[in-house]
Amino acid sequence: MSTSVVRGVGLTPEILDRLREIVGAEHVLTTDGDVEPFSRDATPLFRARPDAVVLPATTAEVADVLRLATETGTPVVPRGGGSNLAAGTVAERGGIVLVLTRMTVVQEVSADELLAVVQAGVTTSTLADAASARGLLYPPDPGSRTVSTVGGNVATCAGGLRGLKYGVTRNYVLGLEVVLPTGEVIRTGGRLWKDVAGYDLTRLLTGSEGTLGVITEVTVGLLPMPETSRTGIAYFDSLADAGRAVTAIIAGGTLPATLEFLDRACIGAVEDFAHLGLDRDAGALLLFGDDGSPRDVVESLDRMAAACTANGARGIELATDVAGSEDLLAARRCSLPALSRLAPVTMLEDVTVPRPQIARMVDDIEEIARRHDVVCATFGHAGDGNLHPTIVFDADDHDARRRAEAAFDEVFGRAIALGGTITGEHGVGAAKLPWLAQRLGADQLALLRRVKAAFDPAGILNPGKLGS
Amino acid sequence: MTASQDRAPVDVSLGLFDQDLLAACISCGFCLPACPTYQLTLDERSSPRGRITLMRAVDSGRLPADDPTVLEQSSYCLGCRACEPVCPAGVQYGALLEQWRDLTWSGARTPPVAAALRAGMRMTPALAAAGRVRGAARTTGRARGDGVQLMLGCVERSLFPGVSQAVTRLLPGIEVPSGQGCCGALHAHSGGSTEGHHLAERLGEALPGTILTTAGGCAAHLVNVLGRDRVHELSEHLVDVWSASEAPALTDVRVGGRRARVALQDSCHLRNGLGTSAQPRDLVARVADYVELPSAGACCGGAGTYSLLRPDDAAAVVAPKLDEVESLDLDYLVVVNPVCQRQLVTALRRRGSRVRVVHLAELLALALPT
Ligand SMILES: Cc1cc2nc3c(=O)[nH]c(=O)nc-3n(C[C@H](O)[C@H](O)[C@H](O)COP(=O)(O)OP(=O)(O)OC[C@H]3O[C@@H](n4cnc5c(N)ncnc54)[C@H](O)[C@@H]3O)c2cc1C
Ligand code: SF4
Ligand code: SF4
Repeated sequence: MSTSVVRGVGLTPEILDRLREIVGAEHVLTTDGDVEPFSRDATPLFRARPDAVVLPATTAEVADVLRLATETGTPVVPRGGGSNLAAGTVAERGGIVLVLTRMTVVQEVSADELLAVVQAGVTTSTLADAASARGLLYPPDPGSRTVSTVGGNVATCAGGLRGLKYGVTRNYVLGLEVVLPTGEVIRTGGRLWKDVAGYDLTRLLTGSEGTLGVITEVTVGLLPMPETSRTGIAYFDSLADAGRAVTAIIAGGTLPATLEFLDRACIGAVEDFAHLGLDRDAGALLLFGDDGSPRDVVESLDRMAAACTANGARGIELATDVAGSEDLLAARRCSLPALSRLAPVTMLEDVTVPRPQIARMVDDIEEIARRHDVVCATFGHAGDGNLHPTIVFDADDHDARRRAEAAFDEVFGRAIALGGTITGEHGVGAAKLPWLAQRLGADQLALLRRVKAAFDPAGILNPGKLGS
Repeated sequence: MTASQDRAPVDVSLGLFDQDLLAACISCGFCLPACPTYQLTLDERSSPRGRITLMRAVDSGRLPADDPTVLEQSSYCLGCRACEPVCPAGVQYGALLEQWRDLTWSGARTPPVAAALRAGMRMTPALAAAGRVRGAARTTGRARGDGVQLMLGCVERSLFPGVSQAVTRLLPGIEVPSGQGCCGALHAHSGGSTEGHHLAERLGEALPGTILTTAGGCAAHLVNVLGRDRVHELSEHLVDVWSASEAPALTDVRVGGRRARVALQDSCHLRNGLGTSAQPRDLVARVADYVELPSAGACCGGAGTYSLLRPDDAAAVVAPKLDEVESLDLDYLVVVNPVCQRQLVTALRRRGSRVRVVHLAELLALALPT
């Protein structure tokens, strides 16, 4: 195993001077110490030293930086909150890490038009709070919402805990301001819910993981805030049982806002942090929730509780109020970091299968983990068929790491065989690139590369990641 | 076969930090919104996650301990530990910071103010004299046994002697042993963790019973060294004994003919280190109208020696809080730590505010029947 840090290509003093002219000297970081905090994101085991970190404040500055980068062949890696789980912000080819966190203006929240316009560096929760202050809902709520930026959410097409009923980020992006790698500033979409003039570049850029353009401003659609929301939990003997309950709930005609599950190891880790009195002896926990009018919510929760009971739930608890519901959701959001209490390296995956296959996939993951002798805890957005099997091990246990990688290789294969995908929401980045061809096939991958080349002829934007 | 194997650099530790503590962080970023220096700068370098990444680089020798960014960030950190309770992974940032400052503030790199304070706090007789001159609670002779014993904090006895006096009125007959030195919290937080631990142990010998402290910062440090069962912070203690035995008949604290409006500023280490936040609120509400300061749990910028070492940054940290205090139409702002008291008294006075800053003990003493 190599111990060398991937080093950058090195930037000439002229390039650095021009960068300083563009954004101001204090917003160009180059020393070892200054760039170190930007050498990784939330992905374990990936790190690379950027040659420089540049923090622009305006779209015009972003455009100047990108024009310079294309002219000089300098790699540029966009970065928002750095909560990425696929090493998408790691500057593996060196160059510039372009950090958007200084662009934090909420430009507009319109209750008349049901939309908001924000700069890319606004955090997801800031946007949600601004909407909520006007009685509006911004539904996408990734677990990382207090850290992640709206630009990063669009770049990864982030999902969240409400995906089942409300969809994911792409369902709310109406328009983007994007700087192309060659420096042009374009506006895709706009304030319209209907607009079919031209290819849907807004959707193409949503989930493009910083490889096609740098998003500087986002227009999102909002919904009226539901009157109330409520959650409950059901305990099961196994995750597969919980998976079957999910299938039954949806087959029964309910499309609730939230259906999340945790296995026994996750319950223990979350309980260690959140102290909510969760049942550590249960094999699995299903968190179900819905929103709407008080009557609809009560009915929906009752129906879900009944479906759980019919499918072998060993206990059901309903949150008594909105605050209690928020506690349960907050606990679910912290599953991943809480799991690191088991062992320091948490290798988390993101496979997604068609909903009816979820119990089967869960069983398969457990079987694969057993065979490779790894400690694997699984949680996920059950309602979306989106699973986060997480293998934990000690940093210096090289053999465990090798076994983990072998196990995940099989997990990906199994997911694809069941009609699923290698990543549901975290993205391909550098971490999942080796499996992309398996998922897309040669022809589609070749098309992806041609699209990439059309946007980015010099190949400077996030090289070595998705599509490049 | 694998994506990461040949790219992922594996750190080899030089053993400068406790490996288990350092390994616990998974860089999820959940701590960023809680960190005052990140909120002020929105700069990853000034975030808990960024700082832990820097510590790791130092630990593996990729960065020298005297790298300018490493020095600056270890000093810019308030040490408020707001990053701890929000961390789902259970990262013990406070302990890591002590180890970091041991490296960055050692020898010639120790900031002169910190060195001077560390030296000053070492001298028990000088502390005792300062306290006597200022009128802190009288000592009751050598410790007599293993009952509850009031600790006279070293900052407090010289700056706010009224606090220990108020305690002796709230808890008549409380033992105040002589021969007390400093607890060493200040040393532990400013590059002298070994000495800080020795001082705590020595104080534990001078006060062999349950140590009662009026300072959240001292409480957290003493718990760390001596164990939870040896230490009672004042609000914890009062809520305990006043529910077990007869509480004194407290009257309302009144201002201008009505019940006083009182807010609380948490002590960071009491709240984030020991998880104590309900008790001081409960006590205030017994004698006045309690008003929650929206930023009550956020650092005031006092932060041990911080306001002396980095006055401009301390002022930037406290500024939004002062606006809040002024907007709430308060009579008193209650603190549970002398460093907060000093910081807020000074900052509010500079603003010409009429809100009075008092220690919890002082507020409660106002409610004792005369
Ligand atoms: C604890 C935890 C929980 C999480 N929960 C969820 C979840 O529930 N659902 C989910 O989908 N994800 C989740 N994630 C993953 C991650 O938070 C999301 O992918 C998020 O959208 C990333 O946003 P960010 O601002 O942190 O972007 P970053 O991590 O900084 O970047 C992500 C990618 O987008 C690119 N990028 C960033 N900003 C821009 C921009 N302005 N223009 C162009 N490209 C850009 C980067 O190059 C990178 O490829 C979780 C992560 C953690 C650590
Ligand atoms: S300290 Fe905790 S909350 Fe912060 S990044 Fe590390 S694991 Fe996440
Ligand atoms: S101790 Fe306070 S200032 Fe330092 S990193 Fe933690 S939250 Fe930020």
